[in-house]
This record gives sequence, C-alpha cells and structure tokens, in this order.
Amino acid sequence: MLVLLFILFAGLAIGCAIAVVAQRNPLYCAISLIGVFISLACLYVMLAAPFIAAVQVIVYAGAIMVLVVFVIMLLNVEQEERRRSRLGFLVPVAVVLAAILIAEATFIIWFVDRSPVRTLSNVSDTGLTSSIGSALLTKYLLPFEITSILLLMAIVGAMTLARRIKEIPPGAAVVPGAQVLPLHMFDPTIALDDTRAVEAHGSDEVAEVLGVPDDHDPTKRD
Amino acid sequence: MVPQLSWYLALSAILFTIGVAGVVIKRNVIAMFMCIELMLNAVNLTFVAFSSFFHDVTGQLFVFIVMTVAAAEAAVGLGIIIAIFRNRESLDVDDASILKL
Repeated sequence: MLVLLFILFAGLAIGCAIAVVAQRNPLYCAISLIGVFISLACLYVMLAAPFIAAVQVIVYAGAIMVLVVFVIMLLNVEQEERRRSRLGFLVPVAVVLAAILIAEATFIIWFVDRSPVRTLSNVSDTGLTSSIGSALLTKYLLPFEITSILLLMAIVGAMTLARRIKEIPPGAAVVPGAQVLPLHMFDPTIALDDTRAVEAHGSDEVAEVLGVPDDHDPTKRD
Repeated sequence: MVPQLSWYLALSAILFTIGVAGVVIKRNVIAMFMCIELMLNAVNLTFVAFSSFFHDVTGQLFVFIVMTVAAAEAAVGLGIIIAIFRNRESLDVDDASILKL
C-alpha cells in the first residue's frame, strides 16, 4: 500500500517536474511546479512529517508561487521564443558526461541497497509540531534569529530593487560606456510612466542628457 | 514492503537533476527561477527522508530554514526580475549579459 502511494506521488512529482522544464509558457511552468510541491507534501506526510507538509503547502504552494504567478501576470510575458541552436560540439560531450554520471549514480544506489540497513522502527514524535518548536527555540535558537534577520534584509532589498527611480539627481556621477537611461530623460515630452529605455554611448552624451557638466574628460585620464 | 530510504534519495536526485537541466536549458528568467525552486525542494526531500528514517528532528528544522531562505530568495529575485524587465523590456537572460566579459 505504502509502495503504491510512493510510486503514485513520486511519479506525479517527476512528471510535473519534467513539465516545468518542457513547457514554454511560464504560467504553465508555475502550475506544474505547484503540482510538484503538492506531491512532495504528500511524500512528507508518508515520511511522518506533518508539520513540514503543512508548511510546504502554505509557504511554497501558497505564498511563493502566488508571488511568482503575480510577477508573470504583471510582466505579461509572451511565449518563449525557440532558442537558436549554438551548442555544436558540446552535445556529444554532454551525452558522454551524462552517461558517466548515471553510471556512478547507479553504482551508488546498487551499493547502498546491499549495505546493512539500520532499522529504527520504534515510534517517535519526530515530525510533530511540538518537537520541532521546542528544538527551534532551545538548541537551534541562533539559526532561528539569523533567519529572522535574513527575512528583514530580504524585505528591505526587495523594496529597494522594485522601487521606481523617477529621475537622476543633478550632479550624479556618470560612468563611461553604454548607459541605459529611461526614454523620458532624452525627450521631456514623453510621459514619465513610459518605461522604455534607450542606450547612450559615452559619458559626454549622458552628461548632455542629464544636464551636468562633463568634467571627466577621457583625454586627460592617465 | 515499505519504501526504503534509498527510494527517497533516488527521487530527490532525479528531481534535482531535472532542476539543473532546467536552469541550463531555459532562457526565461522566471522559468530559471522556478527550476531553482525545484532544486531546493529536492534537497528538502533528502533532509526530511533522513530525518524521518533516523528519528532526528534536526533535518526537519533545516527544511524549515531552507523554506525561509527560499521565501527571501523569491522576494529579492522577483524584485531583480522586475528591475531587469523595466530596463531591458525582455525576460531573456541573453539580453541581460552586460556584465559578461
């Protein structure tokens, strides 16, 4: 019975994972990935880890995938284009390396199956919420606190990255080379919410757009 | 007969390999991001399998922390993707290769 359930959920997970890679539309990728998460949550229940299974569904299939689907909808991406083939001679090399890797993995699995198995069949409370919580707040308190700091940094970083910069302040430093600037900086008649970007080549062009004097003359650089 | 530990490890290895292949094959930033999530989940399955078979709660604790890191990665990574799309009008990683030598 457990073997049948394992085969069912493992097959579902592998099939959905292959669908994630094979699909060209990112939205279908996301739906397939949710299938992988759900079948992995079922496997966690079979492994007597109900808390992790619940967190898997809530955090992964709930929060993270909603964020991903939200970004896909927001950016409104079209179908992925067929990529040009540029691998050439790397394909046979990859086939040989993959064959070696599969042979190694098969040998390891074959070897593990023949080694003596330590059976620990007594009932324990490993996986329950109370044991996880008590260990998290006593023995592993430092990783717990570090994780909270990490989350705070992630909040600040995400807000900094996703913020829209309206204009570059006057006197801003100009880096030589190709600069990617919003289109409205080149033509003030274009509305501010037009997010298209153009490339400016050379610091003097950028300085002209920005209205700052270009005192970094490349001829005077030593 | 019950599922053995090696079955779970083999399933985890298969999922991780599919994730690696996706990161290498895919050219869409969001699809690569989802393949990375797939690899994180494969590692989580390994943690939970060892934790369950050896009756040690440490593995499940680290699964919890890995999930937190994945959530933080999702927030920051999607912020980066939005910033790239705003500047480049594209989600193709080949279009965002300005840092490549």
